[in-house]
Amino acid sequence: MLATGAVGAVVDPWIRWDWITRHLDVIAAALGQHIELTVIAVVLGVVIALPLGLLGWRRRWLRGPIFSLTGILYTIPSLALFSLLIPFTGLSVLTSEIGLVSYTLLILIRNIVTGLEAVPDDVREAARGMGYRPFRQFTQVDFPLAVPAIIAGVRIATVTTIGLVTVTALIGEGGLGSLIYDGLLRDFKTPLVVGTVLSVALAVVADLSLSGLQRWITPWARTRTAT
Amino acid sequence: MNFFGQVVQWFLTASHWQGDGGIPHRTFEHVIMSGGSLLAAAVLALPASIVLGHFGKGGALAINISNVGRAIPSFALLVIAVELVGIGWVPAFVALVALGVPPMVTNSYLGIREVDPDVREAARGMGMRGRAVLWQVELPIALPFIMSGIRTSAVNIVATATLAALVAWGGLGRFIVDGFGLQDYPQMFGGAILVGVLSLIVEFSLAGVQRLVTPAGLRRSKTIRDPDSKVATNLAAA
Amino acid sequence: MRLKRIYVLGASMVALALITTACGSTGGPASAKATITIASFNFSESIILAHIYGDALHNKGYTINYKDKLGNREIVEPSLENGIIDLYAGYAATDLAFVDKRQGVAIESGSDAQANVQKLNARLGSKGVKALDPSPAIDQNAFAVTKAEADANNLTKLSDLSSVASKWTLGGPPECPQRPFCQPGLEQTYGLHFKAFKSLDAGGPLTYAALKGGDINIGLVFSSDGGIVANNFVVLQDDKHLEAADNIVPLIRTDKSNSEVDALLNSIDAKLNTTDLTALNKSADVDKQDPTDLAATWVKNHGF
Repeated sequence: MLATGAVGAVVDPWIRWDWITRHLDVIAAALGQHIELTVIAVVLGVVIALPLGLLGWRRRWLRGPIFSLTGILYTIPSLALFSLLIPFTGLSVLTSEIGLVSYTLLILIRNIVTGLEAVPDDVREAARGMGYRPFRQFTQVDFPLAVPAIIAGVRIATVTTIGLVTVTALIGEGGLGSLIYDGLLRDFKTPLVVGTVLSVALAVVADLSLSGLQRWITPWARTRTAT
Repeated sequence: MNFFGQVVQWFLTASHWQGDGGIPHRTFEHVIMSGGSLLAAAVLALPASIVLGHFGKGGALAINISNVGRAIPSFALLVIAVELVGIGWVPAFVALVALGVPPMVTNSYLGIREVDPDVREAARGMGMRGRAVLWQVELPIALPFIMSGIRTSAVNIVATATLAALVAWGGLGRFIVDGFGLQDYPQMFGGAILVGVLSLIVEFSLAGVQRLVTPAGLRRSKTIRDPDSKVATNLAAA
Repeated sequence: MRLKRIYVLGASMVALALITTACGSTGGPASAKATITIASFNFSESIILAHIYGDALHNKGYTINYKDKLGNREIVEPSLENGIIDLYAGYAATDLAFVDKRQGVAIESGSDAQANVQKLNARLGSKGVKALDPSPAIDQNAFAVTKAEADANNLTKLSDLSSVASKWTLGGPPECPQRPFCQPGLEQTYGLHFKAFKSLDAGGPLTYAALKGGDINIGLVFSSDGGIVANNFVVLQDDKHLEAADNIVPLIRTDKSNSEVDALLNSIDAKLNTTDLTALNKSADVDKQDPTDLAATWVKNHGF
């Protein structure tokens, strides 16, 4: 069994510090690639989700189809989604990114719509009463008030994406997933542990930073009890 | 024959429906493994988090463990399980259960906590004691949230069971992994379609169950519009 | 005004994404000599060989890109023909069989390495690929059982399996049921029809674990694997000579080939031998040393 070291009689400790110190460049490169893939996916996700979210908020009849489509994309397992893309987009960063972006859409759009809908009616009334025209009302009232929910969505989308990037190791990318995959291919625990720990750490750091960011840009939300 | 023609051809080939490597058997493996691990995860996660939610204790811990658990990539979980236990169905099962627990913990805990304190007060005012409050008030109200958590776990489990083919298990992921290894794209694509369809069936049927268990009074309520998004926002605030 | 913060944020997110994309795609410095992209299969020996070739070429001034663990032959060989990669360390008989199958002709692989290479060149010439000189180092398919199994059934060679094959499970990489030197070969040359096939990996941890755990009775391994001895496996003799001459041979695109490159790769091959290769594999797979480090050491020790 692999637990006792299937490939060899040498027992493989969970962490070999000498391997880590000698592979800091490999680890750093994997971490860098992981961050890169994640950032691109989340930013693109937001760029695509914003107009779709707005549409879903404004035109109720579109909400169903938008949620259904992004919901389907979200439900299809990552390996399956990549497999559906590969015959058309090959083993490329594009394939990975299309898949990763697809997974962010449902969460982002749902939170955008929920956030915009949660703007209290009396606030919107007040804005209209003060003579705000639709564009100004949106940019200065609706959207800023929706930001906490949107950032909540970005937080979840980011953590989800960080986990999914590891699967791209199977289709030629990987980020920290290539360390995990290396662990599997060679029955080698150290890169597996390093890849896993760094993935979790990255997710926690991203989550905390985004929550800090949320507090920075919406200081008025600090006094509201979060619902 | 174009690519889609080849995929159709793959589905139409009789031998692909027979034997241990056939579509029915692989689907069966996938469903049994997913269902079994979901059940085990529910047994582990639900009672503890519901009770904790009822007493309002240990929430931060539960949610933090859940957050960290959620952050562990499922691929990593699988490989770690294999390093711990060996190959085959056991590590797949262990990894899937570990994967299924966090969403259920978070949603159940928050679902119970989110019950309107006024409603709880009213129940106590009516003379209900702790356990009655839990069973007759909190649980029915929290049920949609709990179901939402079960649904999330179920979808995640079905998805990760696909990956388990990488560690010498079977299931529908086998078509994807072998198809990729052979560069037999019709097989890979066919497997992906099967996995996608299964996932959608699981998601929609559990969504239906979630609607069914939403107490009628709450279905029309304005405050509890969507358990999924509400919990999502709460999770972020936690 | 605080609202501005939100829009500043939005703009910086987009800028961040653009910057990360740009950083990811900056190329290296220009070089007078060609850039050669070297690929390796999904196992340590291939990575070691790729880096031996690469390090030596780098020492001669070539810029090297590696695509390590690119995949199995189904991915790597077409990538060579398509120009996505320029070079990989092939195995004469298996590559010939693969190319034959791909071109729809009968398998021509035999036990003469030179003949295999000649035929490879005949088949690949029109694809812009050429095979250089074969090395004396050989790594071919081998079928292993646990010592317990060998002792229990008195097994030393593959023909001994005729009585038990129908009850046995064969384990190997996903492509085994389609490779002439794997399952079909066992059926045709030895008349062995196994009860089941389990898709694992190419002589890697999954196959080893499955053998040890009894999930399979017999598994495909590679003759130069470092773990065979360490795990007390018994390789069954290929008495009917199913396996052909799988000498290591560099397969390179003609547009990257020149007299200096060819001569270098050929002299590396001449110095490779099976014993060294097995020792290198053991260091990588059993002792968990880095394939790239092992390659660098070999290159230095042999004066490349």
